[in-house]
Amino acid sequence: MVVINRGAHAEPGTSLLFKTGNWRSTECPSHVHTKAPCHAACPAGEDQQAWFAWLQEGHVELAWRELVRANPLPAVTGRVCPHPCEAACNRNAIDAPLAIHNVERWLGDEAIAKGWAYPVAPPAEDAPVVAIVGSGPGGLSAAYHCVRLGLRAEIFEALPEAGGLLRSAIPPTRLPRPALDAELNRLLALPGITINLRCKLGRDVTLDELGRSHDAVILAPGCQESKEWNVDGAVPTDLHEGLHLLREFMDHGEFPAAHHVAVHGGGNTAIDLCRMMKRHGVEQVTLITASALPGPDTDPADLINVVPRELEEALEEGIEIVEHATVKRLIMKGSRVTGVEIVSLKKLTGTDGRKHRVQFEGTERVVSVDMVIPCIGERVKADGLHSLLSRRHYLDATDPWGRTPQENVFAIGDARGDRGTVAEAIGDGRLAVEAVAAKLFGLPDPVRDDRGEMPAAGLNTVYFGPIERARVPKLPVADRTFEAEIEGDIGRLGALREATRCLSCGNCLACDNCWVMCPDNAVIKTAELASDGSHYLFDLDYCKGCGICANECPTGFIQMRTDTWQDSDQTV
Amino acid sequence: MSLYETDRKDERLAELREKFGRHPVDPPDRFHQGGSQRDRQPRFCGLESGHRACQGCGEALAARLVMECAGPDVMVANATGCLEVFTTPWPQTAWQVPWIHSLFENSAAVASGMEAAMKAKGRNTKILAFGGDGGTYDIGFQALSGMLERYHNILYVCYDNEAYMNTGIQRSSSTPHAASTTTSPAGPERMGKRHLKKDLLSIIAAHHIPYSASASVAFPADLQRKVRYAMGIEGPTFLVVHSPCPLGWKHDSHLTIEVARRAADCGLFPIVEMERGALSNVMPIRKVRPVRDYLELQGRFGHLMDPDDPRAVEELTHLQALADYNISHFNLRGEGEDPADTAGIAHVARDRSAGER
Ligand SMILES: Cc1cc2nc3c(=O)[nH]c(=O)nc-3n(C[C@H](O)[C@H](O)[C@H](O)COP(=O)(O)OP(=O)(O)OC[C@H]3O[C@@H](n4cnc5c(N)ncnc54)[C@H](O)[C@@H]3O)c2cc1C
Ligand SMILES: Cc1ncc(C[n+]2csc(CCOP(=O)(O)OP(=O)(O)O)c2C)c(N)n1
Ligand code: SF4
Ligand code: SF4
Ligand code: SF4
Ligand SMILES: [Mg+2]
Repeated sequence: MVVINRGAHAEPGTSLLFKTGNWRSTECPSHVHTKAPCHAACPAGEDQQAWFAWLQEGHVELAWRELVRANPLPAVTGRVCPHPCEAACNRNAIDAPLAIHNVERWLGDEAIAKGWAYPVAPPAEDAPVVAIVGSGPGGLSAAYHCVRLGLRAEIFEALPEAGGLLRSAIPPTRLPRPALDAELNRLLALPGITINLRCKLGRDVTLDELGRSHDAVILAPGCQESKEWNVDGAVPTDLHEGLHLLREFMDHGEFPAAHHVAVHGGGNTAIDLCRMMKRHGVEQVTLITASALPGPDTDPADLINVVPRELEEALEEGIEIVEHATVKRLIMKGSRVTGVEIVSLKKLTGTDGRKHRVQFEGTERVVSVDMVIPCIGERVKADGLHSLLSRRHYLDATDPWGRTPQENVFAIGDARGDRGTVAEAIGDGRLAVEAVAAKLFGLPDPVRDDRGEMPAAGLNTVYFGPIERARVPKLPVADRTFEAEIEGDIGRLGALREATRCLSCGNCLACDNCWVMCPDNAVIKTAELASDGSHYLFDLDYCKGCGICANECPTGFIQMRTDTWQDSDQTV
Repeated sequence: MSLYETDRKDERLAELREKFGRHPVDPPDRFHQGGSQRDRQPRFCGLESGHRACQGCGEALAARLVMECAGPDVMVANATGCLEVFTTPWPQTAWQVPWIHSLFENSAAVASGMEAAMKAKGRNTKILAFGGDGGTYDIGFQALSGMLERYHNILYVCYDNEAYMNTGIQRSSSTPHAASTTTSPAGPERMGKRHLKKDLLSIIAAHHIPYSASASVAFPADLQRKVRYAMGIEGPTFLVVHSPCPLGWKHDSHLTIEVARRAADCGLFPIVEMERGALSNVMPIRKVRPVRDYLELQGRFGHLMDPDDPRAVEELTHLQALADYNISHFNLRGEGEDPADTAGIAHVARDRSAGER
């Protein structure tokens, strides 16, 4: 019992003896590193928030290193990815999304220009060897992640050059070959990766052989065979299929002669083909697509599946697009096409609960054309893959890691049938190798990252001002050729400035708000990095659980959670 | 800081402890050794944890923010009120500086004496006087006026939570018009307080003192700039800090800052600076919000939220008119965006030096 007489005084700071932490009646603050929406939306698995954070601190090379932990080809994806990250970016709620793809591309180019080495160590001489079929983005990503995780990779590629569709189909106006070569070559030069060109599965080597000679097999052959196309059984004799035409044009620079072309489809191939033909001199090019053009009310599931800016540029260049329509009838003179009958259609839910394409009687109209080009997609070519082919002619992978029914054989990228972008192929490569490495090194199987995602409503946007999105120069329509890249470079200053727009969704940006605004002085700032990645601790001995810190945290990194603290947990 | 460092002082303290019947080693070691994370905070903490303020108390926050940049070489005279009560439950104190509890009505007078004493001893220690709105707008007003008139070198800070909170939410002359308190209850007779909030700042400024200003817990950077500015002035200075009270205003404790922010954003609590009686600076409102946005978060204005009650509509409109008056009177509508307006001042960016300190 303390005896105190009237002349005594209280010693400074003695209130610390009184633990107001046990007043907390409801919830207590905690640091929760949720996924930024850009990261959650990125098929390649990049954590854009993390690399923007490095850029905000001025560390460009560290930003690139963080990026290539997931995606070894930023100079490529920065140019061709449809960037779902930007559609998901929380900055949409303030002004405009970050120009993520422009900065990504600049980081990739900068790494090439500066010769930064990939942050990987050479795998051991006796490391397990993984066979990879195909050197498109999927196969290349798999090879890279093998090295990153300590494995060796041996690639088998049917063509004389690596790159898959990046080289054979994507036009150089979007992906200049010097940029592509620079990034692919440095990847292929990594110690631990070997490539066998002109070596085709099904002709030069079999799946069984690979299974026996290698520790695991990853199949990334893409889709090489066009889907069959006809209109009620009618097929023009001089039928040219879209991807084939594009590839021919890449090789020889010529298209078959035509004045008015109708392209039937709605993917990147269709748009690229339309634009190339128009640029080549075809008077009128009409794209007929069952999907919708972007608009305020467009259902994302219905949206035409192309890189958004490609669509914009196509419209600028005078491509005519007929949305929600299909080709109903070919009008032929003998075996030559002279026109197409188009009919409106929409995907509607039928009585069986499934989506059906319903054509609307009375909307038929005729467009006169001298060529119709189907671009309705490709499927896997059976060569050497019969044992794994599904009824739909794809390699059915059973899970996100690409496992197939066959032990130690994985299928990734376009060949899965449920993919279709470079970034997805890259993400698949990483995931498959994570599963392979875990198995070969006797570690537990990788698990899905089920952290929550930080929505815009979880941020306190009061703390962020408007900053205009970077504007990147573009070649005017008149100056567009078959070679010159259309979209310009954001540049160092532009990239660093753009990074300052990032809201750091779900991750602490060390703003001090919690430290400054806690009425109970219960937030402690630390010089050392705490285990949760921040520089702040909650002193739960004193925190009364008011929730101010959580409300004023701009990034949503503080959330009020069920209290599990007990008096005996007293820490700091 | 240095008080406990030398052995001699430790010995003297041990003696005093014994004499006054205190614990031999008290306060706890972790505080004295300076080795804990808490002791290594890169700021002066004049008001420590363990105080008994309510969850989310705006006044506790305001006082800590003031102490942070006023201390450590200060002494405080504190009027009766919540701040005094919750920081000093005998035999403990949350203060880290010499601190005197005056009466409810005379913190300015006690501070004047402290300042005179320091002067006589030839010391530079700055004297701070603290009071609530009751202790400042009302009962302590004449003592304050005398302190200003006698030109003492004192910073007086009024923690304005707009009622006598410590004794159970009685209205003061700072309580806003139409707010419900226990002595101005909303009901069939009246729609909360009948009278207006006193424009204390103008009265203070009329004393022709060097500096007087209003600030808000919603804008700590601005508040602390004002404290530093006042600390640098030789002579009487005055600061009134808008400090939401979750209990008395009846809002959720996590909304303390949000409520204060909206008070400034709607114009009901103008954030201004005055020098020698003239308006010298205002914090412009970037985006003016309707007063309703501010009022609707608080139970004390709950009776104004019924659109079908004509009395409620009238009072709501009255408060909007008062806010509009403030905006035009103090010219709070800035031109374009200003890095120090109500939005700009709060903006954050990644701290590049985090962890390097
Ligand atoms: C015209 C066009 C434009 C496109 N534009 C974009 C775009 O802008 N953005 C975007 O994200 N995506 C775009 N895509 C899609 C993208 O190119 C593909 O999703 C991606 O290339 C798939 O990568 P992959 O590694 O799975 O397959 P691929 O890139 O198809 O690579 C497969 C590789 O495997 C090789 N191979 C196949 N079979 C065998 C075998 N039996 N033995 C050995 N090797 C074999 C092939 O030669 C090829 O090199 C476009 C596609 C096209 C056609
Ligand atoms: C002369 C005198 N009258 C009344 C009281 C009772 N009393 C103590 S604190 C207080 C109210 C304080 O209100 P305010 O100054 O606004 O401070 P708050 O508690 O709101 O921070 C009152 C009426 C007193 N201590 N002395
Ligand atoms: S603001 Fe930054 S972290 Fe948030 S979604 Fe956009 S890019 Fe990602
Ligand atoms: S602001 Fe302080 S007291 Fe309130 S919940 Fe956060 S840490 Fe606890
Ligand atoms: S308030 Fe700021 S410093 Fe505190 S956790 Fe959130 S982002 Fe980090
Ligand atoms: Mg009060």
